Amino acid sequence: MTIHHHPPEDLLAAFAAGLLDLGQHVAIATHLVGCPRCRDTVRTMEHVGGALLTGLPPTAMSGDALAMIKARLDGIVPAVASPPRRATGLSDVPGLPKFVREYPAGPWKWIAPKVHMRPIELPEASETRVFLLKSRPGTKMIEHTHTGFEMSCVLSGSFVHAGGHFGPGDFDLGDGADDHEIMIDSADDCICLIAMQGDLKLNGMIGRLLQPLIRM
Amino acid sequence: MVKETPNSAASDAARWAALIEAVAKREDREAFATLFEYFGPRIKAFMRRSGASEQGADELAQEALLAVWSKARLFDPGSVGASAWIFTIARNLRIDGLRREKRAGRDHTVEIDPEFHVDEGPQPDAILAGSQLESRVRNAMTLLSRDQLRVIELSFFDDKAHAEIAQTLQIPLGTVKSRLRLAMNRLRGLLGDFS
Ligand SMILES: [Zn+2]
Repeated sequence: MTIHHHPPEDLLAAFAAGLLDLGQHVAIATHLVGCPRCRDTVRTMEHVGGALLTGLPPTAMSGDALAMIKARLDGIVPAVASPPRRATGLSDVPGLPKFVREYPAGPWKWIAPKVHMRPIELPEASETRVFLLKSRPGTKMIEHTHTGFEMSCVLSGSFVHAGGHFGPGDFDLGDGADDHEIMIDSADDCICLIAMQGDLKLNGMIGRLLQPLIRM
Repeated sequence: MVKETPNSAASDAARWAALIEAVAKREDREAFATLFEYFGPRIKAFMRRSGASEQGADELAQEALLAVWSKARLFDPGSVGASAWIFTIARNLRIDGLRREKRAGRDHTVEIDPEFHVDEGPQPDAILAGSQLESRVRNAMTLLSRDQLRVIELSFFDDKAHAEIAQTLQIPLGTVKSRLRLAMNRLRGLLGDFS
């Protein structure tokens, strides 16, 4: 898998710093599954975090903190790597991070000719909704505009728009600035994970069809 | 901010890693106390800057050190430096704390750690051992400009959206983003070829 489109570095830094809300976090984590280069960036940013941590001016702990904590050490069971949890409906979707495959997901819903969507239920409140979008080969869509951002990770198949060609592993950050036409150009279905924030203002017929469903 | 010479950065990284391994192998309480005394007050400062109260920050720092104790055996010095590992523990506890606040009493726990666990491909990503990467990052950071460091620091620790950082520094939003990207590109350049 050759990846041509990566998340911008400020997003990778925010991921490493733990500042993304869960929906955005899921989208970046999905890109990382297939991208050694961005994994390396995140790993480096975590080391930047470590260096920044050691450079912080220390704030004194409460006086008895060490004594209190030492008293608690005996009762602590050493942690082991967490066992895999039960698989859910997403275990059949390729390219998702392990923790996402454990999230509950609804069934595929028809939302427009050749287009299906499948909501992913996040375990925490998030300003970003996450869903899978599956489009048949040859589908053309007018990309909607919205006031927030939209992240797309291609899981399988491919699409093309004015910003380039996007295949498995590629990450597309919609800026919401312009409408542009998207065309599914793979021979098979194109499945993307989408993380979307903000109010939608969908254009075009498919847009109008999508709107009530994506609002969820 | 990061003022160490190359040698002291390397020896600190190795020393902390050795302390964590002493906890893992022998449940060494002295090693733990040393880690506690160094990292406790810094994790507390990190939690304070992320918006935790004095007491909340103290509790979170204690929880983080308890996690260092209980997770020491999961520490893999081959892939991660000691302070980066401790940073990720503190980071995940901060996320957990913020989520608990949002849930306001509704009892429900989701483990944060798996959310940051990314499967590596057949080839492990790590080219540099953790403590090597740690000291190289620390040295590279001394070569960034003050402005670049400040943007990185604000975006890591103050839980600030880039728009707020722009306000704090009184620079345009685009400048925050480009400065951050420049800083990170510079770091990557200093650290050698990554791709
Ligand atoms: Zn990438």
